[in-house]
Amino acid sequence: MIDVKNLIKDFTLNKKQRKEMGDKYKDTKILRAVDDISFECQPSRIFGLLGPNGAGKTTTLRMIATMLKPTSGSIKVAGFDSVINGQDVRSQIGFMTGQTALYDRLTPTEMAKYIADLHGMDNAKFNKRKEHLFNILDMNSFADRRIARLSTGMKQKTSIVRTIIHDPQVMVFDEPTSGLDVMTSRAIVDLIRACKEEGKTVIFSTHRMGEVNQLCDDIAIIYNGKLFYNNSLDQFKSEMTKPTFEEEFIYRVGEE
Amino acid sequence: MKFLIIAKKEIIDITRDRRTLFMMIAFPLLLMPVMIGSMLKITSSQAKKASLKELKVAFIGQQFAPNLYNAFSSLDKLIILDQIPIDSVQSYIQSEYLDAAININPDYQSNINNNSQAKINIYYKGTDSFGTAKERIQMVFDQFEKNIIKLRMNKLDLKPDVVNAYNIEFNDVASKQERFGKLAGGWLPYVFILFGFMGAMYPALDLGAGEKERGTLETILSSPASRLDIVLGKFIIIMSAAFLTAFLALGGILIGIQQISEIPSDLLILINEIFTIKTIALIMTLVLPVSAFFSAALLGLSIYAKSFKEAQSIVAPLNIVIIFPAVIGTLPGIELNAITSLIPILNVSLASKDIIAGVMNPVYMTEVYLSLFGFAALSLYWCVRSFNKESTIFRN
Repeated sequence: MIDVKNLIKDFTLNKKQRKEMGDKYKDTKILRAVDDISFECQPSRIFGLLGPNGAGKTTTLRMIATMLKPTSGSIKVAGFDSVINGQDVRSQIGFMTGQTALYDRLTPTEMAKYIADLHGMDNAKFNKRKEHLFNILDMNSFADRRIARLSTGMKQKTSIVRTIIHDPQVMVFDEPTSGLDVMTSRAIVDLIRACKEEGKTVIFSTHRMGEVNQLCDDIAIIYNGKLFYNNSLDQFKSEMTKPTFEEEFIYRVGEE
Repeated sequence: MKFLIIAKKEIIDITRDRRTLFMMIAFPLLLMPVMIGSMLKITSSQAKKASLKELKVAFIGQQFAPNLYNAFSSLDKLIILDQIPIDSVQSYIQSEYLDAAININPDYQSNINNNSQAKINIYYKGTDSFGTAKERIQMVFDQFEKNIIKLRMNKLDLKPDVVNAYNIEFNDVASKQERFGKLAGGWLPYVFILFGFMGAMYPALDLGAGEKERGTLETILSSPASRLDIVLGKFIIIMSAAFLTAFLALGGILIGIQQISEIPSDLLILINEIFTIKTIALIMTLVLPVSAFFSAALLGLSIYAKSFKEAQSIVAPLNIVIIFPAVIGTLPGIELNAITSLIPILNVSLASKDIIAGVMNPVYMTEVYLSLFGFAALSLYWCVRSFNKESTIFRN
């Protein structure tokens, strides 16, 4: 489970960045990327973090994955505090973005082994898990081929394996389907569903409303770093005053 | 111990990169000796060509010094032209139609006979790289002058000692090794410092900025490995690459020298006497901390860059920064002292020079090691800090 309480993240802007961002940041050096956000993600449920580009989704997910430190507030992942027990948090999560994030000169087997080793998996456990994943994803034919020589689909499968090789309890997906074609997006959507079925806690960020309807149990809408809505998807649907998700989203954000 | 897992993966990764392998192994080991050998061969063949060149020399006023004219005319590979007017001489030499011109004054013989100085003008082009024309003409005049002086002294009944009041004998107590070390010893560190830097450069760019570009940085940052583990794992590999490249560059030169026939055999014997395993090992103890210094600094800069391309543009000017102190180390008169032994890179250059010359000052050498390990530690500390800084690691 993920428990986020009163999360704030400030970034200090340098002169160049202030200039690029216009008059709004003329007199302040601080950019508040995440502004007092609280939410909970439960096991066996998919939590969708929705918002347009620059809303603060990636910053929030990076804080959950301990890559960034919160300015204030707290995050607990599977009971571990993200600041005090960063390493424990990282051992519980699988992190995936829209990029395949693979090493071209390694093979899928070596890639999986590298991540498994970093997670302290012993060889027997790794081999069993690898065999299982390579079988269900039909990867055995290219298991020992260099990643640079693989097709996009093969790379995506390898990326899935490196994310879940250590069987994490918490899955963090940062816009995992952005820039992917329909077929490869499908593989990711299937992975997210499978994670839910296995009882994992899943949080994923997106700005594609179609995916939200298809996958999410709970949603949070953030815009300009602020939390606008947080409840179950069913509740959101029952409260909708506009015919589509997109329209409802724009309406709610515009209302504030 | 997670840094060892990272280091192991990085070894596999960089040893599969042909560009890195080429820069790390093939370039220093093969190309360096070939380059040095070719340079020496070209220089010596040019010198040989110049010495065999047939020179065209204008001789003006042959009627005033027929003996001289005959002496020049009888020389091999020298064509004497006696019909060139004096006012055309300079433009002919300028346009390289002539190599030189000799102009004898009309009062030549009377001056010689009166024990006075005879004025002779020689025109030549100073840009002639080997100075062949000037040298060959000078040789003839030297011989003639000696004979004239001898005749004059006989006439005056004087012994040659009259004009040589001192009989000075210079006795150099410096050993051959010391002389070689001080003269040529500075160039060797210049080469391996540069190669060490280049050896670190490609892996550092790949393991820092390359990681950002591929999007794999988030993968390892979200793994249980700490930032320190990540830095150490990468640093060890980059440092090993730098050390290996510098070592191979040194080895490449020493092996290459053996293959070059232009090097005189006594010099070759001396080089083989100097570069024992002990000397090479001593030099490598200097290369190790300087490799660590380069590696941590380059990794820190590389992780700051948003992309591989940006990292390249940040790192490329550093080549000049590295070359500058290394070149200063090759200059004569620059020695290891209390101050220079603290300046990184320059101190490696000067200390290597002393090691090669076989004259090491223990106080300065201690200072060198303290400085090098100190700078390496500082550079590593800065690199770890860069990895921990959110504004660096997520600069894009």
